[in-house]
Amino acid sequence: MKRSFTTLTEATLITAVVQQGYGEIITDALLEVGIQGSTVHGAMGVGIRERLGALGVAVDAERDVVNVMVSSDEVDRVFERMFLAGKLDTPGMGFMYATPLMQAATYVPPSILSKYVGS
Amino acid sequence: MSRRKTIRFGDYIQAMSIDSQKIPYQELMPEPLFDRHGNEHPQPVPKMKLGGGDILKILQPYLSTRFIDQARAVVPLAIYLALFQYLVLQTPVMDASIIAGGLFAVMIGLMMFMEGLKLGLMPFGEIIGNTLPRKLPLAGVLFIAFLLGIGVTFAEPAIGALQVAGSIVDPKQAPYLFTLLNDRSGATVLLVGLGVGLAAVLGTVRFLRGWSLKPMIFLSVVPTLILSVIAFMDPELTKIVGLAWDCGAVTTGPVTVPLVLALGIGVAAAAGKGADSSLSGFGIVTLASVFPILGVLILSFYTAYTVPPELIIEKAAEIKLAAQTATTQPQWYEVTPWTEVILGVRAIVPLVIFLAVVLLVILREKLKNAFITYYGIILAVVGMCIFNVGLTYGLAKLGDQSGGLIAGAFTSIDAITASPLYSMAVGVGIAALFAWVLGLSATLAEPALNALGMTVQNLTNGAFKKSMLMIAVAFGVATGIMLGVLKLIYGFHIMYILIPGYTLGLILTFLSTEEFVNVGWDSAGVTTGPVTVPLVLAMGLGFGNALGSTDGFGILAAASICPIVAVLTLGIYVQFKIKREERRVARELALEGETK
Repeated sequence: MKRSFTTLTEATLITAVVQQGYGEIITDALLEVGIQGSTVHGAMGVGIRERLGALGVAVDAERDVVNVMVSSDEVDRVFERMFLAGKLDTPGMGFMYATPLMQAATYVPPSILSKYVGS
Repeated sequence: MSRRKTIRFGDYIQAMSIDSQKIPYQELMPEPLFDRHGNEHPQPVPKMKLGGGDILKILQPYLSTRFIDQARAVVPLAIYLALFQYLVLQTPVMDASIIAGGLFAVMIGLMMFMEGLKLGLMPFGEIIGNTLPRKLPLAGVLFIAFLLGIGVTFAEPAIGALQVAGSIVDPKQAPYLFTLLNDRSGATVLLVGLGVGLAAVLGTVRFLRGWSLKPMIFLSVVPTLILSVIAFMDPELTKIVGLAWDCGAVTTGPVTVPLVLALGIGVAAAAGKGADSSLSGFGIVTLASVFPILGVLILSFYTAYTVPPELIIEKAAEIKLAAQTATTQPQWYEVTPWTEVILGVRAIVPLVIFLAVVLLVILREKLKNAFITYYGIILAVVGMCIFNVGLTYGLAKLGDQSGGLIAGAFTSIDAITASPLYSMAVGVGIAALFAWVLGLSATLAEPALNALGMTVQNLTNGAFKKSMLMIAVAFGVATGIMLGVLKLIYGFHIMYILIPGYTLGLILTFLSTEEFVNVGWDSAGVTTGPVTVPLVLAMGLGFGNALGSTDGFGILAAASICPIVAVLTLGIYVQFKIKREERRVARELALEGETK
């Protein structure tokens, strides 16, 4: 059987680096806005404790990094939801950014695929 | 191919409801600094200036998540006990405001202590675990592991519960029990510590050599059982057995387990043996709960051999008399908050000094983020002091009270005028059910159990589900506590639970695979935490006193063996299921092969 794959275009990667434990809050918010899935991994942050001084003890140096791919049209909407869900308007909480993706690929169900690709 | 969603501009504006501005990141970057030769200077780290609102925003989630962690363990138990007392025993909670304050102190104290442990003590443990094996020969490492075992025992919050429990014991009825918990409590804790130290040494050697846990269990449990039987035969020492076995459950708490493990795993990793087995973390907990039993038993034999019981009773009376004459003007360190504060400082500070000496003198390492470590240590000491106050006024008082009142369900006691409230059979049933539900809910609330469940699920590739393990352990602990309460009601000796329990445990150990033996034996020690232990200890003693029984100990001991049996049994069942599945698949494959 000949195998084939479909490339998705116009995709953007949003990455949020937040205090440990907030990753789950953000992924929950992402599911609510209709994102199919996201990736979380752990990391260590450096810098905030040094800059906050005594208050630095209240900031967890261990970080959750949330990666999620969204369609480029949806970036603003999802970006805002993640910002609010992760309470990123708090000092020391973390930061986030969006990167344009050249191309992406995953399993696309045939029922959806047939709508866009003439067979 | 392209598909554009059309949205109304109004909807877009509504969706983007928060104010947003754009500034170039360039504006936020500091100017690079150059010296007069044109070389770049390192940048100074500027301190952030924060307003009051922002400080609050940082502190609020920091405090609330940590407080909720502790509240989740304490509040449901307290509500359960209060409701039970009110609805079933028809007695309001006495000194409710003092107990509520005490429980609040327990939550605050534990919150601070756990955070302090994480920030202040754990970094020590990790650095020492990682660098010590590289700088010292094995014998030196093992010696430090041994000393660490003793140190962590004194720092364990639940150990304070033993001393609190000791004040309830009547010296005339159980002189040796009294002396081990009062004037000789230091020696008792020291021997418990020696046991933990020995366990740390053996556990570390086991990591290095990759020994199986099974023979170690047989070699440590069987002599302990034999010594217990010998003590059981002695009319005076028989009252010690319950205490000795309870000590095993008391020692393995939130300080001992992570610190000793960090050292053990560090040693194993330095020898290149850390990563190959995910089981390497197990075993120490088991040994650390068996050896202290042995230690306490040996101490009791020694005491019985050297000191006659009459002398202890005399001495106890003397202490009492001295206390009565001194009541006019008690020393400042004998008044309430200060005794607890001294206990707290005495528990943590030696451990910290020991760790600091190892780190600075032997390893000559420097601490990274020294400020945070100091903050953690201070937090741990303050938290321990607050926890001790809460222990006396909250957990111990509440446990003592409900333990004393629950007896009113089936027998006549002074506190409840209408007692016995129910007929003997119904009352005993209520008491047993009460104990069972208490054990179940207390165990399921224990965060350590959740972590153990995850480990086991990963270890068995999902064959042993997390929920299954948690339920098995909780059922075991619940049944154990129930058996312990029944033991008090009917006044039979704890050995009648321990001998069949451990015999069954040893047989199951023989039949099980190494993984389940490790998990099963560790599950009991891991799950009895700093909230459950004092509560159950005090409840047992209060209950025992109300019934006029001499020996309120033993409930924790019963609660330690039952989960072992439960988990091992479940493990054998899971193994059987996997084997059956494998056989079925093999048969089907064979059939397929025939048809082709």
